[in-house]
Amino acid sequence: MKTEETIAKKQTISHDRDRTGWKEKIPELFSRYGIFLIFLALVALMSVLTPHFFNVYNLINVVKQVSFIGIVAMGVTFVIITKGIDLSSGSLIALVSVIAASFAHPGDYPLFVPLLLGVGVGAFAGLINGTVSAKGMIPPFIATLGMMTAARGLALLYSDGRPIGNLSDSFLFLGSGDLFGIPFPIIVFLFVGLLMHLLLSNTKFGKHTYAIGGNEQAARICGINVDRHLILVYTLAGFLTGISALMLTARISAGQPSMGVMYELDAIAAAVIGGTSLTGGIGTIPGTMIGALIIGVLNNGLDLMNVSSYWQQILKGAIIVTAVLIDSRKNKKA
Amino acid sequence: MKARKAFAWFMISVLMLGLLSGCGNAADGKDDGKMVIGAAMPVFDDKWLSYMYDAMKKGAKGQKAELKMVDAKNDSSKQLEQVEKLVIQGVDAIVICPVDTSAVKPMVDAAKQADIPVVVVNRQPSADVLEKVDAYVGSESIKSGTMQMEKVAELLDGKGHVAIMTGELGHEAQVKRTKGNKDVIKKHPDMKVVRQGTAEYQRAEGIQLMENWIQSGDNMDAIVANNDEMAIGAIKALKSAGKLDDILVAGIDGTPDALEYVQSGALDVTVFQDPVGQGEKAIVTAVKLAKGEKLEDKMVWIPYELITKENVEKYVERWKGYDENKG
Amino acid sequence: MKTEYLLEMENITKEFSGVKALNNVQLKVKKGTVHALMGENGAGKSTLMKILFGMYRGGGTIRFNGEELKRTGPKDALKKGISMIHQELNPVPFMTVAENIFLGREPSYGKTGWVNKKKLIEDTQRLFEILNIRIDPTKKMKDLSIANMQLVEIATAVSHHADLIIMDEPTSAITEKEVDHLFEIIRSLKKKGVAIIYISHKMDEVFEICDEITVLRDGQYIGTKPARELNQDSLIQMMVGREIKQVFHKEKAEIKEVVLSVKNLSREGKFNNVSFEVRKGEILGIAGLMGSGRTELIESIFGIDPPTSGEMYLHGEKIRMKSPSDAIRNKIGLVTEDRKLTGAFLPLSVKENMIMSGLDQFLNFGYVNGKTVKRKCKEQVKKLNIKTPNLNQLIMNLSGGNQQKVLLARWLLNDPDLLILDEPTRGVDVGAKAEIHKLMSELAQDGKAILMVSSEMPEILGMSDRILVIHEGSQKGELRREEADQKKILEVAYQ
Repeated sequence: MKTEETIAKKQTISHDRDRTGWKEKIPELFSRYGIFLIFLALVALMSVLTPHFFNVYNLINVVKQVSFIGIVAMGVTFVIITKGIDLSSGSLIALVSVIAASFAHPGDYPLFVPLLLGVGVGAFAGLINGTVSAKGMIPPFIATLGMMTAARGLALLYSDGRPIGNLSDSFLFLGSGDLFGIPFPIIVFLFVGLLMHLLLSNTKFGKHTYAIGGNEQAARICGINVDRHLILVYTLAGFLTGISALMLTARISAGQPSMGVMYELDAIAAAVIGGTSLTGGIGTIPGTMIGALIIGVLNNGLDLMNVSSYWQQILKGAIIVTAVLIDSRKNKKA
Repeated sequence: MKARKAFAWFMISVLMLGLLSGCGNAADGKDDGKMVIGAAMPVFDDKWLSYMYDAMKKGAKGQKAELKMVDAKNDSSKQLEQVEKLVIQGVDAIVICPVDTSAVKPMVDAAKQADIPVVVVNRQPSADVLEKVDAYVGSESIKSGTMQMEKVAELLDGKGHVAIMTGELGHEAQVKRTKGNKDVIKKHPDMKVVRQGTAEYQRAEGIQLMENWIQSGDNMDAIVANNDEMAIGAIKALKSAGKLDDILVAGIDGTPDALEYVQSGALDVTVFQDPVGQGEKAIVTAVKLAKGEKLEDKMVWIPYELITKENVEKYVERWKGYDENKG
Repeated sequence: MKTEYLLEMENITKEFSGVKALNNVQLKVKKGTVHALMGENGAGKSTLMKILFGMYRGGGTIRFNGEELKRTGPKDALKKGISMIHQELNPVPFMTVAENIFLGREPSYGKTGWVNKKKLIEDTQRLFEILNIRIDPTKKMKDLSIANMQLVEIATAVSHHADLIIMDEPTSAITEKEVDHLFEIIRSLKKKGVAIIYISHKMDEVFEICDEITVLRDGQYIGTKPARELNQDSLIQMMVGREIKQVFHKEKAEIKEVVLSVKNLSREGKFNNVSFEVRKGEILGIAGLMGSGRTELIESIFGIDPPTSGEMYLHGEKIRMKSPSDAIRNKIGLVTEDRKLTGAFLPLSVKENMIMSGLDQFLNFGYVNGKTVKRKCKEQVKKLNIKTPNLNQLIMNLSGGNQQKVLLARWLLNDPDLLILDEPTRGVDVGAKAEIHKLMSELAQDGKAILMVSSEMPEILGMSDRILVIHEGSQKGELRREEADQKKILEVAYQ
């Protein structure tokens, strides 16, 4: 008589109903695409409120602006699905930024050197995050908090606290170039998004990610090497942060140790708005991309409307909480 | 019960010992007859301030004084603890660059109780605190804002639409520089602030804010930013939208990066605040006070200097000189 | 309306994720009586009491002292005059006995909130005097024996000056002498008009102290009778009902070669020198109480916590299991004892829950082939008669029985040679239980070897071909199906 289960033991009648009526499908649809509908509503609202919002140039502008945080948020999504957290992404952006920039002066090294170094540093920091939390049994909150402080310090040390400018044109293309009229960051954002979506939803790696977040014990019993997988997940998050940092460095055309402050929270917010659950086992890449877009649309729309900076902060906070609230309520019903 | 009492006595004796040893240390510090200056600095990881720190270190060497510099990591309460510690260590003078100008009072009080002279540098506290400190070395924040906007007004012939990019909200420099900007605009009836938004002193945020402003289609003649990094961000966004030639951009700080943009003509105006001047003067003033000498004026002003394309080379050289000193 | 009853609970209904734990149950207790609440494990006694005490919500009405009870929580129940001695002890170990008893209602100096320690201790001493308890009120709770903690718990319940005290297995941790002490306390409370609801598995206690008995079975109300009208046999009859002989779907399967053989397997502090073998087509039952080391034994076999010594042979070849993935590779499957803790991925769908241990079979160039997944999962849903609207339904929305079937399907998809089932029908309703038993028989007929752990004696007796008896970490003996019965098993265990 200890648990609910034993109470339920030896039950008389089973109460399973076959629920496939169309009426039940509506909440299911809403639960699947709810945050997307909220996003569309927000876009519609902004379009009504300001005439400058809904046009190709501005929309491209918004997507470009969210590309950077969006890519970071994808890695964070993997991490949060495993019930973890990554607080180091913002500082890691700074570290990758200064290291990559120092190898990207014109005529110094071929382009692949700063690129590989950038993603390499990101992935390595992620590897440390993962190893410390998985093998060292230190909660990821603490492990990545340590990395957050250490990476920022390293960035300052490496750059002597100063921006590193004078970057080659080919490197700058990453942040400000475009292909067929579409800014390069958007192309990377969509491409990485597609890849990560396929990885998360359709591969062994992705399924195991969900399994670990859903029930770590059960995952072990299903033969999943949980420690190794967690290390890989954090490494992936660091790798994606590296990509984003490279593009951001190119965008501002300098490696800066002060870059990316609080970006980790924006990335976590994007994932959570997009339906990723901090309790683990739930979340999707398209959801996170939408989450990032919601933040971007808010920033852009409020700027366009010339809302005062004080009010912007208040409104943003309120709208984000409301969106998640609506989303979680409907999840409960489904 | 017995145990509890014993514990209480134990704690008391530990505290006493701590105090005694603190005094002991202070005595040790003075043994070699060298003057000791404590410096409570807000954050080591800041580029502009790092030049000031270097100048302070160099100044102390020149004055044959020992400099004890501590980093508050942008935390006011930590800075207070550090000042208290310096007081216990019995330094001869304390230089404070406050994390938050509204939180300096307890630090000054702590030093004054021990009769240690206090010099505040770079960030100007309110009048009631200024009364208590022995000297303030710095520039008047508001002046950088007025100086910057006056030049912009001159370049615009006294008319046009201005957008102001502010720093981290609530920050002392953000408030004063913005106020300086607006004071000047008020004097010109044909000038108007059409937009104001924060880009948190960051270049990346500056780009983003400018991109959104461009999308709004508003007519802007000048972008006036609270610091150079945001101004550079605005330049980047304007450049990719092909609008840089029509719009003036102004910053503050005169960082080496910004000077490059001035040289290329992208950044029209910036205001130089002299870190080395402030650092040197702070140490000189502190040493004077420690020796018991009188000051001519407790407000030691290091004036701002306006940088435009005409005089930019001079400042490029100056930075080079600072950097060589550093090495 | 005046009524002779102090407490009237009617039409009480409670569901846990779709399974009815209580269905239209009633309980009426008269003032100044001791009322026994009887039923097997899982009959719903604790649930009913938790509803009364405000810890669970549930349907139905409760009248106490003639007025309807608003069930807002334990605090309110206490205020109305109901207190409860919980089955599990919840002391605050680093606080004193007195502080534990008056937790949350410490006497204070006026309204200052400053605890009056002197009064606290005096009050406790007075309480202990009345109850004839000899424990120092200033002792830390952690320094007490379990029996004394139990007494403190009883004293706490009495100290609320309640009209009704619920005692959920109050004698589970105390000796006979202390039971007599408890009964003294109960009798004196009774004299003061206090009513007591007494839950216990010990028949002799019930007949000694109780005036009336209410019986629950499978969440249903069976009846209420004066204790003197019943005897042990008729009470058991009420508790167990007509289903005393459960029907098990045990089919004859051909028993062939040995699949797994275990020799002198030990894990320090958990189990010692266990040896057995299990063959194709055979169901080997492992009987033993909780804490006997049976779960640890199968965890070692499955590689979760490797053994410290001993050998294992699979199909005659020596093997070592260092991790579950080794076991899976060797075609062994494990359905664990606790579905929520170690079995189901609650936030995931039925489909994902099924495929998780054997993803490799669905991979096409590293890509999970949705079509194959769907086809194979549908097969399992059909074969196991899993009731789910579709494969994308979240497993947490299924009933316990269907969840258990999904977990079985997870391992069946790997087509294992040996299936280890730890409490295969725990928390599963009767219908699904029968289906799972039938499935086990079919699997044995298909030539699978099955190792089953169960605390339910009828299940062990009904399903096993052979029974391995484990007690306190050591193997006590083995019984053939034909010779085994409940008495025999206990004899073997305690020999």
